[in-house]
Amino acid sequence: MAPDYDVLIIGSGASGGMAAHTLTAKGIKCLMLDAGPAVDYNRHRSLKHVYDLPYRGFGKPGLFPHVTQANEFTANLWLNEQQNPYSYPENDPYYWVRVRLIGGRTNMWGRASWRLSDYEFGCGDHDGFGDNWPLRYKDLAPYYDRAEPLFRVSGRKENLPQLPDGIFLPDESTDSPSVKRFNQAADARGIPITKQRRATGQLASSGNLLLPDALATGNLTIVPNAIVRRITTDKNTGLVNGVDFVDRVSKREYHTKARVIVLGAGTLESTRLLLNSGIANSSGMLGRYLFDQFYVKNTVQAVVPEARDGKGRGLMGGGGYIVRFRNVKQKEKNFLRGWAADYSSGGSPNPKYFPLYGAELQKELNATAGTGFTMTTMGEVLPRYEHFVAIDSKLKDDWGIPSLRITQRYTENEFAMAKDAMNTMAELCETAGFKILEKHDKMVPPGESIHELGTCRMGDNPKKSVLNKWNQAHDIKNLFVVDGSSFVSGGPQNPTLTILALSIRASEYLAEQMRTKTI
Amino acid sequence: MRRRSLLKSLALTPTAALADPTPQQSAPPARSVDEIPKIEASIPDLAGEPVVRFFTPKQFAALQKLADAIMPALNGTPGALEARAPEFLDFLLSQSHADRQKLYRDGLDKLAAGASFDAPLRIPWTWDPPKDPFAAFLRAAKEDILNATVNSYEWAAVVSKRNRNAAGLGTYWSVIE
Repeated sequence: MAPDYDVLIIGSGASGGMAAHTLTAKGIKCLMLDAGPAVDYNRHRSLKHVYDLPYRGFGKPGLFPHVTQANEFTANLWLNEQQNPYSYPENDPYYWVRVRLIGGRTNMWGRASWRLSDYEFGCGDHDGFGDNWPLRYKDLAPYYDRAEPLFRVSGRKENLPQLPDGIFLPDESTDSPSVKRFNQAADARGIPITKQRRATGQLASSGNLLLPDALATGNLTIVPNAIVRRITTDKNTGLVNGVDFVDRVSKREYHTKARVIVLGAGTLESTRLLLNSGIANSSGMLGRYLFDQFYVKNTVQAVVPEARDGKGRGLMGGGGYIVRFRNVKQKEKNFLRGWAADYSSGGSPNPKYFPLYGAELQKELNATAGTGFTMTTMGEVLPRYEHFVAIDSKLKDDWGIPSLRITQRYTENEFAMAKDAMNTMAELCETAGFKILEKHDKMVPPGESIHELGTCRMGDNPKKSVLNKWNQAHDIKNLFVVDGSSFVSGGPQNPTLTILALSIRASEYLAEQMRTKTI
Repeated sequence: MRRRSLLKSLALTPTAALADPTPQQSAPPARSVDEIPKIEASIPDLAGEPVVRFFTPKQFAALQKLADAIMPALNGTPGALEARAPEFLDFLLSQSHADRQKLYRDGLDKLAAGASFDAPLRIPWTWDPPKDPFAAFLRAAKEDILNATVNSYEWAAVVSKRNRNAAGLGTYWSVIE
């Protein structure tokens, strides 16, 4: 007979891991199901030369048509696209980038850790587009305060209303002269910049920061390779009462009971599971308002002329972050909301930028080695009802579970914003005296930023949203969805830190409801 | 033959199992009987000549000529020919998408028929892909030839001697079950 658990958590990444960490600390017995296997960093990782790989680092052709992040070194980490198909309208490709491992995508995230502000939580009030969140910054701030030390976020305090400061390991590193030149150009235009804010440490994953502590309480049981097929409900009460799951390897079917379910399978997987279960959708909003952040990679690729021919030492290195500044103090004519950008100094430009070949090309590559100054734009994407996911009844994964059809495209607001980012950063580079090799405003396809958000959004009105302000389903009080699917808007900030904070907040609310027997 | 002599001249071997030249005939192994040593292994590129089977001989000859122009041997580092980049690309293209195969085959046919690659390779790079298929082929081939060369064993062997960090060493993830 299966043991008795208080809470069933689906997913072990940032949101599921954080829920387990929070709930188990309060003495609540949790069972965690994850669709993927456990990673052993000692056993599964080894150093190899690229020539030792069968495809010389190119990777087997066609293996990952939608995962540009995959290479031959990491091919075994990403979810197999052939076993796990999905669809999108012709001419509107969506790149769904998935990982199924204990620890989820925190095994390989970029670690950027930014807070949202009331420019996001109250976005509808600020510019009239879309809905506000059902909470404000002051409601979430205490939970950010707890997530940052757990993930050892380093950063520099700036006192900017659109990018609240946090509990940081202080970043007191100095800027290289090339970065200073860029920063001065930004200062002169009133554009705020700061250092990166990142989780630090050898690994900054749910797998080393959240799950071990939760296991140490004795209150957590983790079952890997458990793909949840559907959530089951009690016919009389309508409450969730368990899940059907299938073992990934053997395909053996199981059912487990649950008093409470916390869903943290990742934005689109959580919504897919709810849609496949036919629950939590009295509003008709489940699957709606899909958005992410658009990325323009290498928006500007410049070189620092003084660093040529090996003279970059002491001049190049480091980087920074352009804080969103559009539509903060004054209103833009061409677009709503704003963009942010990462910039870095000291890389070597890709050979493609030089219209040369042979000895001439190699000479130029040697001369420009280490002289690169490049930046990547991250822009806010407006959440829209017509961008949505639905079950594609004709398409099933290898375990017979219906997959998703994903519809999202970028619109004029995003295009105008990308153009503004390109022009602004090109101006900054020119002012700084850098030579621009190429600039562009072509965003990667929706999804590629791996910041998919929405589709199960929060709100005060049960007719317009799926979850309440505690990440609790309006329709089913013992069901919580704690990942990025709950977002109402996203700003240009990387979402993981907010996912962590929301998960702590929702889990504490749940624990209190369980203590008072409300749930 | 250039490649054979290059390989012979390399001090570095991927096996790292440089044998003690002193013959030890039937001496018992120095390790304990319960110790299970790690078996060092080499790579197929060093065991045999790659068989070209995707491109026609004419196409392959054109690819070799192009590869040598794009990435010649310079200053002691191997070029695309020493690195067997054309042979590798023949293999890679044999498994690539049909669109990519057509791009390469048509491009190489045009080169074999005498088209010049010089002017298209000097067109400044932009984020918009070239509309002319021949220019698009040359853009793709340039990138592939460069990568196939610097990711080769031959390249790593030479560059490793100069700079320990430049040998294409990466963290490889094995299958996680």
